[in-house]
Amino acid sequence: MAPPTTYDDDDFVDQYDDIEEEDEMSAEDKVAMQQGTAEVQKALGTEASKVTVAQIQEALWHYYYDIDKSVTYLTKTFIAPAPKAAPKPAPKKAPEAFFDDMPWLEIPKAREAVFIEPPRSVGGLLGGSSSAPKMSKLQALAALRKKKAEEKKDQERTTPPEDEVSKLSISDKEPVVSHSHAPSAFARTLFGSALEADQTQRRHVFAMPYTQSSSFLANAFSEPSPDDIVLAAQAKAGKKTPATPKTTKKSQKNEEAAKEGGLASSVSSLKINDGPPPNSKGLDVIKEFEQNASKRNASFVVVGHVDAGKSTLMGRLLLELKLVEERTVDKYRRQGEKIGKQSFALAWVMDQRSEERDRGVTIDIATNHFETESTKFTILDAPGHRDFVPNMIAGASQADFAILVIDANTGAYEKGLKGQTREHVLLLRSLGVQQLIVAVNKLDMVGWSQDRFQEILEEVSGFLTGLGFQDKHVTFIPISGLNGDNIVKRTEDAAGLWYKGPTLIEGLEASGPSTARALKKPFRMAISEIFRSQQGTTTLAGRIDSGTIQIGDPVLVQPSGESAYIKSIMLDTEAKDWAVAGQNVSVALTNIDPIHIKIGDIICHTTDPIAVGDTFTMKAMAFEHLMPMPVDLHRGRLHAAGQIQSIAATLDKATGEVVKKKPKVVQPGGVARILIKLEAKVPLEAGQRVVIRSGGETIAAGLLE
Amino acid sequence: MADRRRVNGPGSSTLPPVYDDGELNAASRRQRAPDAIRPLYLKTGVTPSASGSAYLEIEPREGEHGSGMKLTCTVHGPRSLPRSAPFSPYMVLSTHVKFAPFATKQRRGYIRDSSEKDLSTHLETALRGALIADRWPKSGVDIVVTIIEGESTRQDAVERRVEEWDVMNVLGGCITVASAAIADAGIDCVDTVSGGVAALVASKDGDDASIVLDPVALEHESILAACCVAYLPNRDEVTNLWFKGQLPSSASYNHQSLVSRAVQASRGTHGLISASLSEAISSTQS
Repeated sequence: MAPPTTYDDDDFVDQYDDIEEEDEMSAEDKVAMQQGTAEVQKALGTEASKVTVAQIQEALWHYYYDIDKSVTYLTKTFIAPAPKAAPKPAPKKAPEAFFDDMPWLEIPKAREAVFIEPPRSVGGLLGGSSSAPKMSKLQALAALRKKKAEEKKDQERTTPPEDEVSKLSISDKEPVVSHSHAPSAFARTLFGSALEADQTQRRHVFAMPYTQSSSFLANAFSEPSPDDIVLAAQAKAGKKTPATPKTTKKSQKNEEAAKEGGLASSVSSLKINDGPPPNSKGLDVIKEFEQNASKRNASFVVVGHVDAGKSTLMGRLLLELKLVEERTVDKYRRQGEKIGKQSFALAWVMDQRSEERDRGVTIDIATNHFETESTKFTILDAPGHRDFVPNMIAGASQADFAILVIDANTGAYEKGLKGQTREHVLLLRSLGVQQLIVAVNKLDMVGWSQDRFQEILEEVSGFLTGLGFQDKHVTFIPISGLNGDNIVKRTEDAAGLWYKGPTLIEGLEASGPSTARALKKPFRMAISEIFRSQQGTTTLAGRIDSGTIQIGDPVLVQPSGESAYIKSIMLDTEAKDWAVAGQNVSVALTNIDPIHIKIGDIICHTTDPIAVGDTFTMKAMAFEHLMPMPVDLHRGRLHAAGQIQSIAATLDKATGEVVKKKPKVVQPGGVARILIKLEAKVPLEAGQRVVIRSGGETIAAGLLE
Repeated sequence: MADRRRVNGPGSSTLPPVYDDGELNAASRRQRAPDAIRPLYLKTGVTPSASGSAYLEIEPREGEHGSGMKLTCTVHGPRSLPRSAPFSPYMVLSTHVKFAPFATKQRRGYIRDSSEKDLSTHLETALRGALIADRWPKSGVDIVVTIIEGESTRQDAVERRVEEWDVMNVLGGCITVASAAIADAGIDCVDTVSGGVAALVASKDGDDASIVLDPVALEHESILAACCVAYLPNRDEVTNLWFKGQLPSSASYNHQSLVSRAVQASRGTHGLISASLSEAISSTQS
């Protein structure tokens, strides 16, 4: 009874069709089994006694009554099992030592490793044929029974596909679960479920080769190295001096004089930079100011489109007033010739920075002072370039009035009107500057043409009136900044003799602070510049927005909230005991670390500090479309990024009544009440004018509420 | 401009010519029984970040035409639909089938091509019949199947142009792995849907056509027709059916016979899904 070489379904069907019970063998099987048993016993001969009949029958059953295979199997398994490989004695040498006498190259044959491919499991039944693994009889039986049950069910339905199916046999319902294969190496790697065996064989600790060395110390790095010890000692010794002043300063600030006695002994060896708070003279500043018959102060900002000649005009003004010497300008002229910028010589009087000189544009506000018989003036030369509009805002917020410089050249004037001339005027108006001197510059280039001057005058005054400037506060003067005509002296050019009005300096003297100084209000000063001196005092420059100060006043720097004392006050170049609103002063502070002070911060009295907040409601006039969007808020030097959070209402321009609640967008020219949330807390209070910019353009200006 | 100071390799790779007599040798012939499907390995919960995931691997055969398939599926959701999406009283199902660029001999692009979109559509149809979508209103579920290794990675798969038949097996695998992943995600289904493929293959003589389950195109001289079904064994329903090829007019086989064989193949696969899921449950409980 040869075993079937190929697996055929139909055979199973025929062979087992008549099986009723699974435990009972058929008559044929019984006969075959008996014959087989006898033959196997014969084949085994004397060895037959070593195996039981049950074992023989089991083998026969598995090998389909194949005598030869059964005999082989029995012999292998029970009679002469292959001796189990004796466990090799564990190598006494340490694994590292195995490589001790190993040469780097030319390894002897005996030491070479031989790689043997691991045996692959064939699957299926034990031993036997080389053909594909076949189904066990049990599986076949199970499948058959299942199929029969299905068939019975299917008969009721009698659909054509099922009819077809019924002809086919068994193993279609074979449970594939048994064929679920082990994960591939890829899957094992992916899911980290490496074989248990692999894990047990892996060693977790590997001895490093250098541990064999005689000079190896296991705990060499467990304690600090000699270098570390030295460095630590040096640090300890050196720390004493720098560390203590800080503590003294701090404690002094916190506890004032209470602990001074105890502290004195510990700090006696140290040099303290900060003296005790300067004594206040206790002056009544307002009375002093009224009694003081000194000249009045006025500051003005010079604005206009880029290259209109603002810096040159101011340079000329200073030169004519003999505040700058002729040879300084000559020196600048010679330097300018070298780089082909001869005409910039006057501008360089104001533009001191090398970057400004290289580029030929003013970048930051330049401050200068001069005085006439009646007034002390502070010049704030603003940059005209559109990239530096924030600096111009800073300048304009310090000014009492403004000079608008317009380039009279054909083309340049029209360009300016579209560009920064317009934006600057808009900003001046929204920052509360009401007086304006319009200097129509470079008239010598157009031959002192009166028609041109008239044309510009009419156009600009129309535009200014539209923005709300009053005619009486606007003066037009034709000038030439480069030559100095109509600045201090009248023009000597015959073509320009038609002009009979005031010169620029006369115009300046006629103008003055437009608003009454807020002397009675709480002290506020915006910081526009910080100088650090070596004595530990910090000097700040800025314009006093409101209120008065005197030496010795305790002040607070917002938003940092650090307190300090006023040590000295400088007005222009002379030391003063007090200062009032409207003056541009330099103030030296003591008892404060300069890191707490930033440009744009506000100094105020400790008794009446300015509030710091990040959410503000304001009444804004829109120059562009306004909607909830990210914006920059500018006030003087202070600027903060933020967002328009909501628009509460649009307002009537004249009456201020609510026109529409919660509009989605504010049209250009409209007035609206908006809520702004800033990213950082800034010192701002109601009644202050701010400018809102976005994407490099001024989009709105308004009043905080 | 190429760097002229270096010796640059050729711009594209070439392969040495292989001279083949075109006949299949015995080793590469199908050695399984006609109605046996290849062993599978299925594991769920393989991607921790996804709601549900599964990995399916078909055992590669040793030898010249060794072919195995590796698929992974992740299920994201059910999650709320984006604000922009219109209201849906049912769960919105979206399926993405993508071959990894290295999955087949012919490299795949990073953008889904038409065959992948086709597979996605089939997969969506297959799964939609099984999901109880109205239990998840206003929510969406994304099913992403990535084919890490395609059915035929070898060069001769390209030469013999059998890829069109391999798509059937890929779809079957996609359905199976997606079903396991959905179960892993705990999304309500009427039954675990399973994919099965059957094909009518012709031997060398041409006359002797027979139906085989889970066909590997390279193992047969030619495939006349193939059928892939998505089947719900407990309800005895087919959710998706894809039939491809021409049945010979003279043969005794009809479409229904091929479909019923494919159903049998998917029954076999279903057993595997159940086993894998119960194993996953027992491993989490222990």
